[in-house]
Amino acid sequence: MASKGLRKVVAMSDTSFDISVDQGEPDKKTRSLLRIGGRFWSWVWFILGAIYFLVPLFATLRHSLRMERDVLGFKAYERAFEDPSFLETFLLSNALAVATILCSTLLIVPTAYWIRLRLPQARRIAEFITLLPFVIPAIILVFGLIRTYSTHFTIPFTDIELFQPLTTTKFGTYALITAGYMVLAMPYMYRSVDTGMRVVDIRTLTEAAQSLGAGWFTIITQVILPNVRSALLSGALLTFAIVVGEVTLASFLGVDAFGPYLFLIGQHKAYEPAALSFVTFLMTWFAMGMIQFVTGGQGQATGAH
Amino acid sequence: MSYLSLENVTKQFGDVVVVDKFNLGIEKGEFVSFLGPSGCGKTTTLRMVAGFELPTSGRITLDGVDITDKAPNQRNVGMIFQAYALFPNMTVAQNIGFGLRIRKMNSTDVHARVDEMLSLVNLEKHANKYPYQLSGGQQQRVSLARALAIRPEVLLLDEPLSALDAKIRVSLRQEIRAIQRRLGITAIFVTHDQEEALSISDRIVVMNVGEMEQVGSPFEIYNFPKTQFVANFVGSLNNADAEVVDPANGILAMDGVHFKTAEEDFSSRKKGDKVKISVRPERFSFAVEPKKDNVIDCTIESITFLGAVVRIQIKIGNTSFNMDTFNNPFLELPAIGAKEQVMCSKEAVLVL
Amino acid sequence: MAQTSMTLPKAKEPSNLKNWLGVSPFFLFAIMFILFPSLYLVEGSFFNQEGQFTLQNYVLLLQTPAIVNAYKLSIQISAATAIGGGIFGFLLAYSITVGGLPRQLRSALITFSGVASNFAGVPLAFAFIATLGRRGFVTLLLKDNLNIDLYQAGFDLYTFWGLTAIYMFFQFPLMVLVMVPALDGLKREWREAAENLGASYFQYWTRVAMPILLPSILGSMILLFGNAFGAYATAYALTGGRLGIITIQIGAQIRGDVLHNPGLGYAMAMGMVIIMAISLVGYSWLQKVSERWLR
Repeated sequence: MASKGLRKVVAMSDTSFDISVDQGEPDKKTRSLLRIGGRFWSWVWFILGAIYFLVPLFATLRHSLRMERDVLGFKAYERAFEDPSFLETFLLSNALAVATILCSTLLIVPTAYWIRLRLPQARRIAEFITLLPFVIPAIILVFGLIRTYSTHFTIPFTDIELFQPLTTTKFGTYALITAGYMVLAMPYMYRSVDTGMRVVDIRTLTEAAQSLGAGWFTIITQVILPNVRSALLSGALLTFAIVVGEVTLASFLGVDAFGPYLFLIGQHKAYEPAALSFVTFLMTWFAMGMIQFVTGGQGQATGAH
Repeated sequence: MSYLSLENVTKQFGDVVVVDKFNLGIEKGEFVSFLGPSGCGKTTTLRMVAGFELPTSGRITLDGVDITDKAPNQRNVGMIFQAYALFPNMTVAQNIGFGLRIRKMNSTDVHARVDEMLSLVNLEKHANKYPYQLSGGQQQRVSLARALAIRPEVLLLDEPLSALDAKIRVSLRQEIRAIQRRLGITAIFVTHDQEEALSISDRIVVMNVGEMEQVGSPFEIYNFPKTQFVANFVGSLNNADAEVVDPANGILAMDGVHFKTAEEDFSSRKKGDKVKISVRPERFSFAVEPKKDNVIDCTIESITFLGAVVRIQIKIGNTSFNMDTFNNPFLELPAIGAKEQVMCSKEAVLVL
Repeated sequence: MAQTSMTLPKAKEPSNLKNWLGVSPFFLFAIMFILFPSLYLVEGSFFNQEGQFTLQNYVLLLQTPAIVNAYKLSIQISAATAIGGGIFGFLLAYSITVGGLPRQLRSALITFSGVASNFAGVPLAFAFIATLGRRGFVTLLLKDNLNIDLYQAGFDLYTFWGLTAIYMFFQFPLMVLVMVPALDGLKREWREAAENLGASYFQYWTRVAMPILLPSILGSMILLFGNAFGAYATAYALTGGRLGIITIQIGAQIRGDVLHNPGLGYAMAMGMVIIMAISLVGYSWLQKVSERWLR
C-alpha cells in the first residue's frame, strides 16, 4: 500500500502536464495552461517523427507489391527470392555476421574481463581503441586495409616483409573482411560487454566464486558468461544488423555479400530491390526488438553507417 | 490564528488517502518537525505547503492569506531537498542568487545578499565553485543559503540530512537550528530520524499512515507518548502483554510478576483486562537503596557494549527486556545467567 | 571502487607483465587492423609517386577545387543533418520524456529509433527513391492531389537536399537515442527548486534545464555530424557516385586512382580522419562536462 502510494506520487508528478488529473481548482487550470500547450507540441513532434519514419517504409512496401499491373501481390518477393544469387549472397552475409560475432566475442569478452579484473590501468587505452572506429569510418578503414593487405605486407615505414597479400585467396579475403567488421562492431561490442560487467560487478563475483573454490573454467562458464549474456546478446544483435546489409567493405574487398548484391539489382530492376529493402528493414526491426527484449529496454541500439 | 495553519488538509492519490484531515497551527519563529516512517504522509504534507501537491480538500493559510491554490512559484516559501537539488550548471554564488534574479533584484543588491548568505553558512571561500566540487554537507549548506536568500516566510526542509554522513548530520543540524533561531524564521523539518527530531525541534508532530499521532515538545513526546506507535517510534522500548490485577492501586501482572504503574486512567479498567505495558530500557536499573516502586527478580541473558551505554538483556518471567545503563570504567557487570534484582519507578511503566 | 582498482594491481606487481599478456590478443588485433592500416595511409600521404618524402600531397589537397568542394559539400550535408536532425530529435526526445506523452509511445519511439538509426545504406536509398524519387509515392501524392510538383519546384532527390532528407532518417533517431538518457537525467528536484524560488516553467527551461542539457545537445550534434560525414553507402547507392561528397571521392580513388596520384588520395583520407578526430575530441569533452552535471 505504501509502495502503491509512492508510485502514485511519482506518477502524479510525472503527469503534472496531464489535464486529466485536474480536480477542478481554478488556479491549477491557469497554472497548467503552458503545460497543456507543451503537451500539444509533444504530440505534434511525435506525429511528425512517426510520419518521417513510416512514410518511406510504406512507400517501399507499396512499391514492392505493385510488380503486376493494377494488382497488389507478392510477385516481387517471389522473383527476388527465386534468384539463386540472392540466397548465395544472403547466406554469405549471415555467415560473415556469425563469424564476426564469434570472433568478437572471443576477443572482447576475455579482454574486457581481464581488464576489469587484473588490469584496470589498461582501461583508458582500451576505451580509446574502441573509440577509434568512430574516427575511422568504413570507407577509410577499407582504404587502409586494402593498402595494407592487398600487397606484400611490410611493417609501416620499413621494408620488413611479414606475409603474402591476403586478398589473393578467397579465405584470406573473408578473414580480412571479418576483421574489418570486427573493427566496425568493436565500439558496440566492447561497450556493451564492459557495461554488462560493471553492472554485475564481475570482480566481486569472481572473488566470491574463487573463495568458494571454483576453478577458472567454472568461473567463466558458470559465473561470467551467464551474467553478461544479455549484454553480449545485444552487442551481437547490433553487430548482426550492421554486418548483414553492409556495403562499403564488401564492395571494395570484392566480397559477394548481400549489400553489394542489393546495390547491383537496384541498378537493373525496379521492384525486387524494394521488396528486399523491406525485408532488410524487417530484419533490422527484429534485431532491435530482440535487443529491447533481452535487455529489458536498457539496450544501446545505435550502429554506424 | 496561527502564522501558518493547516485546516482539515486531506490528500488522496486515487483511492489512497495519504494525508487525512491534518490540522496544525504553527507560530511565527517556531521550529516544527514532522516525524514518522516512510509513507506516513509527512513529505506530502510538506509538499502541499510548498505547493507541489494540491490538497484534495482543506485549507492552508500563511500569515492570514489563503495559499491553498497558489502556484509554488507564487508562494514565498523556501524549500530544501534531501538530494540538495543545486543547479549543477551554476556556481555556488549563482545558485544562491537564482531566486533573487528571478525576482528581478538589481545586481548590486543580489551581490550583497549573496555575500550575506555565504557568510551565514560559512562558505565565503567557495563562492565560485560548482556544486560537484563540494562535499555533501557543503552542498546542503548552499541549498540552505539559496532557500534563505529569498527571505522566505517559511523554511521547509525535506529530510535535508538523510544523505549525509553521521558526523556531518549532527553538526549541520545544529547549524541549521542556530541559523533558524538567529533569523527567527518559521521552519518545518521532515525526518524519519527520531533523534534528529528530538534534538532540533520546538515541537514534534508524529505521523503514521496519514494521521497525526501526537503533537508536543520533544520532552513530552519522549516521556509521555500517548500511543503505542509514538512510544515505539521515538526511542527504544520494551513491550509485553500483561493483565490488570488491581485497578485501584495500579497493579498489573506480567507472567505472574507484579508491576506498579502510575498511569492516570488505569483505575477505569477492570480486573482481568488484557493490556500492553511498555518500559524504556534506561528506566531500569540494578536494585540498590533507596528502592523504587517496582523491584523485580530477573536473569541476565546477554550483555552488549554500545559505547556510552551498556545494554543488558534480562529475563523477567518468560519475557526478555532490555535494560540500558551508562558505561563507566568501574562498572561491575554481572555474569551471564546470574540472578539479579532490577528496579524501576511506577511512572516508568506505561500502559498504552 | 576506484580505491581498490588503484591498490590491487600494485599488490600484483611481480606478475604485471603476465597481466598485460592477457590482453595482448586484443592489442595485437588493434595494431593489425586499426593502427597499421591507418599508419599506411599516413605514410602514403607523405610520399610522392617517386617514393620521396613530401608535403606536396597536402598542399595539392587544398589547391584542388574538386576535393575542396567535396569536403565542403560533405561538411554542409553533415552540419545540416546534424543541426536539423539534432533539433528535431531533441524535440522528439523531449516529447516522450518530459513532454507528457503516454509511456507506451516512449518505448515504441525508442525501439523504432533503434531500427531507423541502423537502417542505412542501400535499402534506405531505395526506400527514399520509392518515396521522393521522380515517381515516388509522396512526389506523386503531392502532384496528383495538391498539384505541387516537387521536381518542378527545384527539388531533386539526387542533390544536397535529397541526401539531406535521406540522412535525416537515421540522424534524428540517433539523436533521440542519445538524448533520452540525458533528459531522464534532469532531476525533478531541479524543477521544483526553481519553481520554489519563484521561477516559471519557462524560466526553469531557459535558465536551468537548457543550460544543463546544452553540452549534451551539442555533443550529440557533433556525434551526428561525424555519423553523416563518414557515411558512404547511402549516397553511393542513391547517386552511384554522381554526388561529389568526400566519401564518394575517396571511393572513386580506391576503385581506380582517378586522381592519378595515390598520395593525394591518402592525404584526402587523412583529411577526413582529422575532421573526425576533431569532432570526437569535441564530443568527448562535451560528454565529460555533461556527465559531471547529469550524474
